[in-house]
Amino acid sequence: MAGSLVVTGMGIISGLGTGKDKTLQALFAEKSAVGPIKHLQTTHTDIPVSEVEMTDEEMKTALHIPQSQLVTRTPLMAMIAAKEAIQQAHLQENKPKRIAFINGTTVGGMEKSEQFYLDFLGNENHKEFIAAHDCGAGTDAVADYFGIFDMTTTISTACSSAINALIIGANLIRTGKVDAAVVGGTECLSKFHLNGFNTLMILDRETCKPFSKNHVGLNLGEGAAYLVLEKAEAAQLRGVQPLCELNGYANFCDAFHQTATSPNGQGPYLAMQGALADANLQPSDIDYISCHGTGTGNNDSTEGIAITRVFGEHIPDFSSTKAFTGHTTSAAGSVEAVISILALQNNFIPANLNFSEKMDEVDITPVTKTKRKDIQHVMNNSFGFGGNDSSCIFSKIK
Amino acid sequence: MDIFIQSAAQISIQNPLCDDWFENPIAHTEGYNRSIEPDYKPFINPMAARRMGKLIKRAIATSISAKQSAGLEQVDAIITGTGLGCIENTEKFLSAMVNEGEQFLQPTYFMQSTHNTISSQIALNQKCNGYNCTYSHRGTSFESGLSDALQQMLLGRINNALVGGHDEMTPDYYNMLGKIGYWKQGELSEQILRQSSSKGSFAGETSVALIVGTNKTEHALCKLRDVDLLYKPSETALQDAVQRMLQQNNLQPSDIDALMLGLSGDCEYDAIYTNFANAFGKNTPIAWYKHIFGESFTAPAFGVYAAATCLAKESVPSHLLHNQKNEVKSPRNILLYNHFQNIDHSLILLSKC
Repeated sequence: MAGSLVVTGMGIISGLGTGKDKTLQALFAEKSAVGPIKHLQTTHTDIPVSEVEMTDEEMKTALHIPQSQLVTRTPLMAMIAAKEAIQQAHLQENKPKRIAFINGTTVGGMEKSEQFYLDFLGNENHKEFIAAHDCGAGTDAVADYFGIFDMTTTISTACSSAINALIIGANLIRTGKVDAAVVGGTECLSKFHLNGFNTLMILDRETCKPFSKNHVGLNLGEGAAYLVLEKAEAAQLRGVQPLCELNGYANFCDAFHQTATSPNGQGPYLAMQGALADANLQPSDIDYISCHGTGTGNNDSTEGIAITRVFGEHIPDFSSTKAFTGHTTSAAGSVEAVISILALQNNFIPANLNFSEKMDEVDITPVTKTKRKDIQHVMNNSFGFGGNDSSCIFSKIK
Repeated sequence: MDIFIQSAAQISIQNPLCDDWFENPIAHTEGYNRSIEPDYKPFINPMAARRMGKLIKRAIATSISAKQSAGLEQVDAIITGTGLGCIENTEKFLSAMVNEGEQFLQPTYFMQSTHNTISSQIALNQKCNGYNCTYSHRGTSFESGLSDALQQMLLGRINNALVGGHDEMTPDYYNMLGKIGYWKQGELSEQILRQSSSKGSFAGETSVALIVGTNKTEHALCKLRDVDLLYKPSETALQDAVQRMLQQNNLQPSDIDALMLGLSGDCEYDAIYTNFANAFGKNTPIAWYKHIFGESFTAPAFGVYAAATCLAKESVPSHLLHNQKNEVKSPRNILLYNHFQNIDHSLILLSKC
């Protein structure tokens, strides 16, 4: 691939805490953020989730936004995570010529729409939230907060949104449309999707158990994470130290079912193969796979089967960190990209919590305890509704 | 590298799946208009169609129609722009939750509510494992998708793509948007929209499917030269972007035979188009399209479709012109400019084949 792309900044907020340091500490401590619901107003109090600790008011205070200003939770989390990434990449002090903000979200302003829906339909109350409902509104709110972006757009491919945002940002840099891109995703919990996943009967009433025979479903989480991408030469000219290389990526469609995955994991298989080909790497080059691993029977078995199809006899170390953060849906791809890069930088493999026994469908075992290991290349998978399957590879700077 | 719009298909408030609007556009006098539905039997098995919402049926029919016109068995990518996604299903699940509580909800509407249901249902229907993406970014959702396809072709990642713009407008959402100033009140006419003396526009629905590809197929409509997305550009930044786009494509302003603008009859937003046209050059003919297709988050897809049709038919007919009556004959290049509430802006350059 001509002209390598590098990551020069990253930021994260999730149930594990605010920032990379808190995230790293929680991963090393093998401490799950999944627990009883605190913020979300729902009757399903028996469903465990992973919530961001801060309230909207606390996030506004942290961001120096007046309490009176209308900003919904999804963009607030995005601002906190993007701020960390933007600061690390020195985008404000040493601005590249054209910067894109490519944001993944699906819930958008739904957490307010569901509170005020009867008002929206019946009277004039809370009508200011109508304009905040759609996915793009939150993206532009984040762009306004920073004031450095020359273009913005929003990807909404459900649980693979954030990796797709990364792919689009990378392509825009490659063609020269922009010089840098802040890419990732953000999603707060909403009653709408908590209930939606609940009707699908795929929510675990305990902490999820990815890739374990006794897995029964996923835990929803909320969070946001962003990466700053630019060309290696551009980063060098700006005097910014790259964190790693974005080596390859691919998106394919399973084209099997709206919410279920194909038995042979065709979409995930094509995505992983595509990312390897794009990076010009062999399967044996991959030292760690940060899996989608939601904890549902359907995902874990098809992802496992797809992994065995790609990697054959020599399956690299793999784990899912969903039991730490919950499934942060549209943010999952970038939350786990940050975790993957932390693993790459700190040479460790995060634990796949709560694993007890191998699945019947496929003979694979994740890394169950934090493991020290030199990592050169890490693969990060993210799969979504509609068979939307994406994979990307981060590599140490040579 | 040349990239072509190989074919296009639409379902809208004009006669569906044809170019009747080019000769005889249907005039609309109501603020709220639903698309004219075609016969779906040639495209979708009636049993399957019964389980599909309107938007999915329209998306699949326009996609198949565009693929057939382009003579393609399969596409490398399916990319959709949608401002609201499957809002009808979203509303059904939301209404049930708000009115009946959280205990007895059914999964069907939730499963079909995510924005990427459109792209994934097209992929399922067309058995396409290729790249699949959905943009939901207000008034530039469609242009974002078109830009994605263009970047990937320039990089050699794909050779063609099905790019769609799809939005439905439910009665409830129409009323909600009305509360925040989207729509004009009372009876409408083209004259009222052209005068642009009050806030708001009138609503249509969008389903447009394009095939874009690197092959100059026999019936290709036009060349897709460039797509630019801009966030809150100053007037200078906007003009700089126009200059840059023309320069990179070896064109002078005088080579642009028409501007295709997103004029909608909203006095505040139309003023921005007028400024743009004045800065570009007062003598350039201005074409518009929202007066016949209506306003929606993905209405700019009609702009691309209309401009591509004009280039293919070698005429910008007088009913599409805003500032003059005389047909523009044999246009070579059309520059499209659209903005969403002066926040998200897009520039698209199309040329004849």
